[in-house]
Order: sequence, then C-alpha cells, then structure tokens
Amino acid sequence: MADMESGPKHLASQENLLLSYMQRLEENKGDHMAVHLHLSSLKPYNRRAHHIRAAENGFENLIKSLNGQLFMIKNSDMFFFFKNEARAQTETAVQKVRFLFSDDPLLENEEADENRFSTWYDVGQQFGDLLHLIESMIETEDKRKKETRARMDTRTSLKVRQKEGEPITPEILARVESALERADLSNLVRRQFVCTVDAQMIPEQSFSEVFISIADLRETMVPGINLVSNRWLFQHMTESLDRRMLSLLSKNDALAISGDISFNANVTTLLSRGFQDFDDNIMASRRGSMIIELQKVDIFADLSAYLFAREFVQDKGYRVCLDGLTHNTMGMVERERLGADLVKLVWHSDMVDGGPDMHEKVRTVVKRANPSKVIMCRVDTREAVDFGQSVGIKMFQGHFIENLIAEDARRRELLRLKRRMERAEQGPENAVEEF
Amino acid sequence: MAQTGTVMTFPGSESTSEETQLLTRLRFIENDRSGHYVVHVHLSALRASNRKPHFINIAAKTFDDLQNNFDVSLFKLDNADLVLLCKDVPVEEIDPVIHKTRQLFSEDPLTSSEDGSIDDRFSTWYDLVQQGDFVSFVENINLLSEQALDRQRKANGMLAANSLPGAVLVPGHIADIILKLQSVEIEDIIHSQTAVVIRPGATGSVLFCEQFVTMTELQKRIAPEINLFGSHWLFQYLTETIDRRLLGAIGQRDFESMSDSISMNLNISTVLGREFQHFHQQAGAYSAKIVIELQLIDVFSEMSAFADARDMLQENGYRVLIDGLNPLSLQFFDPALLESDLIKVNWGPEFNNEESGSRVEDMAQVVKNVGKDSVILGRVDSEDAVIWALTLGISRFQGYYIDTLVKAMVAKGII
Repeated sequence: MADMESGPKHLASQENLLLSYMQRLEENKGDHMAVHLHLSSLKPYNRRAHHIRAAENGFENLIKSLNGQLFMIKNSDMFFFFKNEARAQTETAVQKVRFLFSDDPLLENEEADENRFSTWYDVGQQFGDLLHLIESMIETEDKRKKETRARMDTRTSLKVRQKEGEPITPEILARVESALERADLSNLVRRQFVCTVDAQMIPEQSFSEVFISIADLRETMVPGINLVSNRWLFQHMTESLDRRMLSLLSKNDALAISGDISFNANVTTLLSRGFQDFDDNIMASRRGSMIIELQKVDIFADLSAYLFAREFVQDKGYRVCLDGLTHNTMGMVERERLGADLVKLVWHSDMVDGGPDMHEKVRTVVKRANPSKVIMCRVDTREAVDFGQSVGIKMFQGHFIENLIAEDARRRELLRLKRRMERAEQGPENAVEEF
Repeated sequence: MAQTGTVMTFPGSESTSEETQLLTRLRFIENDRSGHYVVHVHLSALRASNRKPHFINIAAKTFDDLQNNFDVSLFKLDNADLVLLCKDVPVEEIDPVIHKTRQLFSEDPLTSSEDGSIDDRFSTWYDLVQQGDFVSFVENINLLSEQALDRQRKANGMLAANSLPGAVLVPGHIADIILKLQSVEIEDIIHSQTAVVIRPGATGSVLFCEQFVTMTELQKRIAPEINLFGSHWLFQYLTETIDRRLLGAIGQRDFESMSDSISMNLNISTVLGREFQHFHQQAGAYSAKIVIELQLIDVFSEMSAFADARDMLQENGYRVLIDGLNPLSLQFFDPALLESDLIKVNWGPEFNNEESGSRVEDMAQVVKNVGKDSVILGRVDSEDAVIWALTLGISRFQGYYIDTLVKAMVAKGII
C-alpha cells in the first residue's frame, strides 16, 4: 500500500543524498569539518528562491575545486562539508553568505559572542552528534510528507469513515437544523472548567465553558453521522447551535450555572436580532461575567464585521476570547491588535517534540500575547501542563484538568473525613477535661 | 468570494419614510424651537463594508437609553445616516453616546479624525434655535429625502428587470443545486482575466490568466431563484463542487500549446483531494505554467492543511497564490508568514484616503516582507490605483481597469 512505498530509496532527496554521503564519510571523517547554516531561522522574506540560490553560489568555488560538498534540506538549512585545509576559505565563504542576510532580525540583534547563523562541527570528533541531528531533521520531514500523503489516501479516509461515521450531507444538515429548533438541548449542555494550576498540580477554577456536546448531539439525533466531516457545513450548523445556546443561557433555571462562564458564538450571531434579545433579557450585571469565544476562521471571514461586533459586545461588558489557535497560527494573529481579552492555544504534543527551537517559538508567541491572557486548552496529559507552565501559561482547560478537579475534590473530602475522625477521637477526652 | 449587499433600505419607507416624519416634526416645532437641537450622524459616509443594515441597527440601539430618559427622537434615514432630535437635553448626556457610536466604527476612516475637531466628518450639530442652522438643516433633509425616493424608485426598477437576489440559500436547497452543478454545461462560462506585469517605459507582460466560473451566469443556470451568496458557509461548500467541475474542464486543455500561465481559485480540500490528483496526472508536466489561488479564509480554517497543500503544490512545481487579502486584513497579520509564491491584495478606496497613512505603511511593510515581485494588486478599477501602487514598487496588477489596458497593449502589439 501507499505507506510501504515511502522508504528513503524512492526519494533521491537532498536529505537522503546527505545521509549516504555521511555513511561514506565515516571512513575518513578525521579529515573533514562541517558547517550548518541556519537559513530556516531567517524571516520568510529572506528565504525566497533567489536568496537560497545566492547562498548556494557562495560555495561554488569551493565545490568546483573539490574542497567541499553542499547539501540543502527542505527547511532551507544548509550543510557544507569541507576538508580541514579549506577551513579559512570556508570561513570567508560563510562570512560572505552571512553578509547577504545582515538586515534580518536574526542577525541584526545578534550579540557579539553569539553565532546564530552557523554551527561548526569537527566531523572527526562530532560525527555521532551530527549524524543524529541530520537524522532527526529528516525524520521530521518524512513525518510531514507521510501526513500529506495520508490526507490524499483513500484508505485513510475510509478509516476515518469507519471510525467517525458517514460524512454529513446537506440533506442531513437540513434535518439536524430543523430538529435543533425544536429539541430540548438542556441535557446535552456540558461544562468544562478553565483553571489556574499551581506547582503541586492543584487546580483553581477561573471560569467555565458551557457548550453543547457535539458527540452527544450526534448520538441523540443522527447516530453514525460525522457532523464535523465538512467544515463549511459544520460552520453553518454552529449558527443554529448559537441560537439554542443563547436561549438556554437566557433561561436561568434551565441551566443552574454559577460563576463566570464562556460560550461559543459566530460573529453573525452577535450581530443578529437573537443576540440583542438575549442581551436585553439578561441582568446587566451578568454581562461582565460572560466571555464570548470566537473562531479565527469566522473572524477572518469578515474582519470588519468582527471588529464591529467585538466593539459592540465589549462595550456592553462582555469579554471576548479567540478560540482554537494553534502554535502555528498564534504567531500570525496578535491578540492585542484584534482587541480580544483572552486567547486559547490548543495543546499539541508537537510543541514539546519540536525541540528547543519550537519551545522558544511558543514561549515568544505566548509572551507577545501576554501569558496571563493565554489559556491552553484540550489539555489531556500532565506533560501539557508542565510544558505550558514552562512557557509562562497559567490557565488550562481539558480532560486532564477535569481529572485534577475531581482528584482535588476527593483529596478535600478525605481531608474533611480525617479531621472529623480526629475530632471524634479527641472528643471524649475533651469532654472529660471539661468536667 | 462574495461581497454582501450594501444598499440600505428600511421597509415601508415610500409612504411614511423617516425623512418625511422628520420633516413633519420640524414643521411642527418651527414656531417654537426653544431648547431644540439636532445631531446628525453621517453613517452614510462609512465604508460599504461597515454600512450594512444590521450594523446600522445596532448603532441606532446605542441611543435607546437617551430616548427612554430624555426628550430625544431618533430618525434612521434611508442613506444610513442617523438624526437625533433633542429638546432640553444637557450636551454632556449626548457626548458619551456619540463617542460610543464612533467606537463601534473605530476601524473606519470616517472616525479617524478627532471628535469635534475641524475635520470631524462623523457628526454635525445644529442649534435649531438659530434661524440659519434651522434653515440649512431643513434644506439638507429635503435633499436627502429626494435622494431616498430616487434610490427607492431605482431599486424597484432593478428588481423588476432581473430577479437575481433570490431567496436565501439554506441547506435544503443544496442537494438539488449540487445535482445540477454536476451536469450543467460549464465550459462556456469559464472566463479569463489577465494579470499583468507593468514595466517602466510602457512595456508589460502577462503574468497569468485567471480562469474562473462566472457566478451570475452559473446562478442563472442552476438556481435562478436562489441567491448563492446568501450564506457564506454554504456558498463555500458549493465551491467544492465547482472546483471539481473547473478542474475537470481545465484538465482537458492543451497545455503544450498554451502560451501564457493560468491560475485557478481552489479550495484547500480540493487540492488535497482525488480530483486534483487526476488533474496533476494530466497537467503536471506543465505545472510551472499553473498558479493555484487559495483563499485566506480557507487558509485560516485549517492552517496545517494549508501548509500541506502549499508544500505539495510547490514541490510539484505549481505556484501558490493567497487570494482574498484587503487593506483591512493586512493590518492584522503578515502574509509573508504564509510563505506562498504570490499574494493578491484587493485594491480599495481606503488605500487612497487622506487619512489612510497607516494603511499605506502597512502595505509598504507587506511589499517589503513578501517581496515586491510577489505582490499583485487585484480589483484595480482606475489608473489612480496603478500609479499609487507603482510608487510602492508594486508592478503586478489585475482588475477591470487592467482588462482595458491589456486590450490596448494587445492592440499595440506590446504583449
């Protein structure tokens, strides 16, 4: 099957040429050095084809005189291997290439004792390290390729269908939406807490998200149908869900909800008659305790509508949270520029697995968004909390946090029992003394 | 992508329009105007995208409290302006509410001047006690009233001539529409629009010819009574099927003899799907001549899918273009981060405003970040736009004005 063909052989990529070159080099590694040029850390606008060609040209003479060999990998990084005696020439060449990018922020803010542009290796001494580095870079690339292929693979989509159900069609959507207008959804409403977590993993509740469980909705209304298989149809359905959520929220007795809450809404919902009615019906003091979560696709679908709606709801006292950002998208949208009060970063293990560069990248985007405004969501492991805390995040949400809350409740309950037992033990003695 | 309608009409405005009611009130108070004044809020001067009826209704609601607590009447004029007629209301009560309304439109050039400053175009105050103010205000409203009637008549006429607007698209319509889409004749409504590179010395060359299905034609064929743009998300859903038809049709073409590059607007899901694989088998050898345009909203919908699609296309020799950028979106993110080969920014009058200094700066930054050879100015409708863009180093263009330019260049044998 498609997966079996993905061996390195059939792709004579630069990466694989590099690997086989290193295998050959191992024999006489003592005569060689290598330099790794971190072109991937440059800004994208400095990494266009002509820049890369210019960088390549810098090594042309050395290559022609058979003093070295250049390899470029997909992320634009370059590895140049050269004979020990060509060291001085190589240093000049690297210096020249570096000069091409001297206006890039990477190099502009470089400290005197730093070398962000290149890393030098003595192949004889550091062969193992270098091989390991290159292998892990190739692995990342292979993984990405495999994922791309998986999306196009019929077998994979078949698997999704067997696991997640038949894809939704417009007819089913029409049925679901008309049922949504009538059904009592109060028993499908779920609540998940956003908590700060301290070093001992003890959670403290900050607010809770109230939402209609899509999985349960599907089970009750259209078992066997994958409601999220087409994002445009799903997005349309969320507009119906918004209306129902607003009516549930305005009936206080239907949902006995205490504390600050958040709920999802589309921008069009906020601009609709329905939201204005909702807003007219709730107590003015409740607005300050409500957070409206908006999706980035919805925001960018019509920015001017978003800006208007945001201004409108914030002026009334609601807070706005950008939902569903990933470590890739968070660097692209600025929370403050968009005027949102909070932002949710979706946990993914890639953040930890991506190595020090990725950690630094996440730390930077969190810092820019202001760590106290960032919530890490879909947290399902302790690793996520540990990582989040290491980059400055304080608020978390997800199954793991729900477990922490349950555990904390059990712990408190035990503590209470223990105290009661202690009092019970002390009780008779006290009683005697009092006599 | 569809731009939604911008013409403001309030129902029932022919007989007892707000303008008429206002004029009646003015006549009623003409002889005793003590304590009366008017604040005229010029929402009609907002950008079209901010002048939508539901925006205006929400803006009007900010005056609810004033109307409940003071002698204040609000008139919503046909052109979207709001008129606040006040009697004996302390000015301090009005100021914060006007300020709040300004805030709602804080991204619009209309509100960029300071409240009450000499170049404030957001609101005008009339002290009706002063004869001069009263007369000029009545004149203004008379004029606006005539214009409203004119607009009304034209709108009615247009409705009769072609009933295009149609019913709002709902999920129940889709199955039928898709069925028709799969078999409708489509080749003859695939139109071509040229994007060009303009070089110094009045020379130029073709960058690519965008191939697209004309939506108004398509609508006439598959759903004359339904407005396909009526729901943003459902329209997006329909484009997935339109993509497949377009790919099928373009895939049949003779790429060998094709002299200019072409571009196509596709969904990311289409690019990652089976239809594109088929297309690639037919056209892959000529991928260097093919530009794939992806919409910004689609990119934001699933960034990782976008990255996969982009890499796959680029590795196979296609060029990737990000479409659907505008002056506003450039303020909120840096398109260079998307690492596409080209970006298309749609020209808008807001680039050419006196107050638009910051937007021009944004654009200059984008040109710097993305590289001037990667930026295309789209929807170019005037020579002004071209001149403006050339000063920023942009030399790639597309739009109605460019179409006429291309015709002239072809006639002169320049391209």
